[in-house]
Amino acid sequence: MNKKLLSILGPVIIVALMIVFRYLFPNKITFLTEVGIFSIYVMGNNILMGYLGYTSFGQPFYLSVGAYSAAIFFAYFGGNIFLAIIVAIVVGLLLSLVLAPGLMRLKSSYFTLINAALCMIGVFIFERLLIDVTNGNDGLWFRGNMAATPLLDVRYPKNFFFFVLLILLIAFYLYQKMDKSAFGISMKATKANPEKMTFLGYNVFKIRSIGYAISIMMSTLAGSLYAINFGFVNPNLGENTRAIEVLLATLIGGVGSVFGPFFGALGFLGMKDIVSTFMTRWEFVVGVLTIIVLFKFNRGIWGLIEDGAGLVQRGRNKKTVKVGE
Amino acid sequence: MEIWITAIIYGLASSGILFLVSLALSIGYGLMRVVNMEAMVYYSFGAYVTYTIMSLTGSFILGALGGMLVGAGLGLLVETQLLRKIYNREMMFTMVVTFGVFMIGIGIIQFVWGLEPKPVASPISGIVKFFGGVQIPAYRLLIIVIAVIAYILIQLMMNKTIIGKALRAGIDNRENVEGLGVNINKIFTITFVVASAFAGLGGALNAPLVMVGPYMGFDMLLFAFITVILGGLGSIKGTMVAALILGQVINVGGTIWAPLATVGPFIVMFFTILIRPTGLFGKDI
Amino acid sequence: MSQNSLLEVNELYVNYGKLAVLFDISLKINTSEVVFLVGRNGAGKTTLFRTIAGFLEPREGEVTFKGDVISGMGAYKIARKGVKYIHQDKSVFGDLTIKENLELSSYATGDYDWEPVFAMFPKLKILLDRKAGKLSGGEKQMLLMGMAIIGKPDLVMMDEPTEGLAPHVIQDLAVSFKEISKTTTLFIVEQNLPIIADIADRVYCMREGKIIVEEGCREDIQDLCFEKHL
Ligand SMILES: Nc1ncnc2c1ncn2[C@@H]1O[C@H](COP(=O)(O)OP(=O)(O)OP(=O)(O)O)[C@@H](O)[C@H]1O
Ligand SMILES: [Mg+2]
Repeated sequence: MNKKLLSILGPVIIVALMIVFRYLFPNKITFLTEVGIFSIYVMGNNILMGYLGYTSFGQPFYLSVGAYSAAIFFAYFGGNIFLAIIVAIVVGLLLSLVLAPGLMRLKSSYFTLINAALCMIGVFIFERLLIDVTNGNDGLWFRGNMAATPLLDVRYPKNFFFFVLLILLIAFYLYQKMDKSAFGISMKATKANPEKMTFLGYNVFKIRSIGYAISIMMSTLAGSLYAINFGFVNPNLGENTRAIEVLLATLIGGVGSVFGPFFGALGFLGMKDIVSTFMTRWEFVVGVLTIIVLFKFNRGIWGLIEDGAGLVQRGRNKKTVKVGE
Repeated sequence: MEIWITAIIYGLASSGILFLVSLALSIGYGLMRVVNMEAMVYYSFGAYVTYTIMSLTGSFILGALGGMLVGAGLGLLVETQLLRKIYNREMMFTMVVTFGVFMIGIGIIQFVWGLEPKPVASPISGIVKFFGGVQIPAYRLLIIVIAVIAYILIQLMMNKTIIGKALRAGIDNRENVEGLGVNINKIFTITFVVASAFAGLGGALNAPLVMVGPYMGFDMLLFAFITVILGGLGSIKGTMVAALILGQVINVGGTIWAPLATVGPFIVMFFTILIRPTGLFGKDI
Repeated sequence: MSQNSLLEVNELYVNYGKLAVLFDISLKINTSEVVFLVGRNGAGKTTLFRTIAGFLEPREGEVTFKGDVISGMGAYKIARKGVKYIHQDKSVFGDLTIKENLELSSYATGDYDWEPVFAMFPKLKILLDRKAGKLSGGEKQMLLMGMAIIGKPDLVMMDEPTEGLAPHVIQDLAVSFKEISKTTTLFIVEQNLPIIADIADRVYCMREGKIIVEEGCREDIQDLCFEKHL
């Protein structure tokens, strides 16, 4: 009952928070937009980590594939922003179709590391192999090529913020549907006990592959939004060193929860924002934080919220009992 | 012709370093099922300590010994204070925890030594001339010799000492070793410290060849991972063979087409794993 | 409480995560007894043995050995205290030779006298340099028993030692059980009823995580009175 209420309230809380922050800190709008985009990225990773039990050290690869898909589209093909986003998602789908047959057979440790390798290969492809297309390390600039969109011209940061918020809302809506659906449950069951699922007649490989595809498409979607937000892309986006960021954000939010990714993104980026005002290099902080989160708050922020709500609920129940007496 | 022979010999030197650096990963996974991402901290510290001792005393040998010692000490610290507590946790947990430790290590390096890369001079500068005009820097040959000695020592330890036998048995079936009354944690600590010392040595030996910078461990982490994955997680023989293969891919491949030096190993591993999901010598674990 | 009780299990509850597997198990093994544990597949026999040997920690209850609480002590300490446990899967260290396997056991216990082992299993002496992975199932069981008796433990626990072996091999092993039982207390999970009828002093029956019958009368054991509970 209580959890159900929370899950209905989840999207409301998120939108409300974003809009309150938006007007509370008007000069932080790009930061908030990034929180929105990063949330989608974290949601993608959360499918792997929380639903399928795979830890990937290569998520930046998928992010940069999405970003480059959009960037190349803008630079060479057209200016339609919606189309660019769709292109990025479709590329993500195709990529997952190519990779899933190999990757979804792997034990989780190998999966982790293969993804790290993919990251490295990705940087190589965008930096060296496709240098004629991507301009290598100089980055691909395309802000001027983006065409205006009707109703709300999302080329302006103010409007782009609401656009991202809208996409985020849709994403959460679908994410919640997925979580409740038979498919969402079978993913979690596969994570817990793949042998048993096979016995029961489920095609574990198929379940994992679909989950993987969704995860990748969310990452490439986030990548394309990043590209649009910055107006340019360079290979740094896909570097291995950044793989920990999305893992940590997922952990901070609460692995396997529906709304955790948003709080993870907010918590992580917020902290990064604060720390970077007094420290240029923040590896140390990230490291310490990772360990604290893992050992002390392993259910993440969403876990805390649930516990908090549980307390409120219990308190209320007590009251009703008293009234009954 | 000469450039190929040169490339092959350079490749052997790379293999030597890869092997030294990858051991801790291989053993950590084989025995304890922990992917210890932080192993490269020992490598980085090995290089930095070599730099510091060398700039203080001018002796590379002292530096390398110091690097080994510091590597071993850090390994001991991390194993007994952290890893031991998380052996039974799931893989994801241990990977992220050890990655966190790795980040902390990078942070400490930045704090102690700063962000600027440090140059380390090659301890011996001679060039050895072979038949047919092949010229190899003596230092590369030294690395090969040291790596071979290290390999022989490890083989002796694994096959002739009781610690090594217990270790092999433990890689096979950890629980049964404990069931005999062997304190497997102690065995593992000893082995882990030895492996960390080798990682430190790898850092010391590699210091004159690369820029000693805070992120050097990161680059090496990827290569070390490729080595252990390609060889098969947990197989020391596999680690050795994979190091030999990768050394050649990096150097001979890089001679054919320069970018292969960085991306070649990833491609080799990628396709090997797709064909053989457990690596060359790995068991299905 | 019997004066010569060696091992006591008191109101033991064991879980795998949230799944409760053993409920309120209490039993007692006296010095120099041969006690069998029987029960259907999945009854929890292996779980009970692994808990006694220290590989699992009980959720509630405790195990005492020679009067000391051993549960929660750590498997290798329990083994050194004199409880040896032979796993169900007959897993010798396949990569090591027989000699190295025995060496490991000696290293752990500090007992380098292998004569009792060779007296009981002369075959092992001949095969000393063979890789243990190459042994037959019966030979593996011999090696495991040989490794177990090094260090002269007070209690040897065997989990289905005859499982999957040919009848004549089982007969040989039954002789070895008797031999070992002269110096060591035995606690054995077994499905092979003739062996039980032959050498058991007592039998415990388990079902669905509980002990349902304890049979201590030799005649009844020989008549396999407990069979109806299986
Ligand atoms: N590692 C585990 N995780 C979860 N459940 C387990 C685990 N090992 C065993 N179980 C469950 O615990 C119960 C008891 O298993 P146990 O292996 O102790 O039975 P057993 O009596 O030894 O059976 P068998 O005769 O087949 O060896 C079974 O239902 C089994 O499915
Ligand atoms: Mg059993």
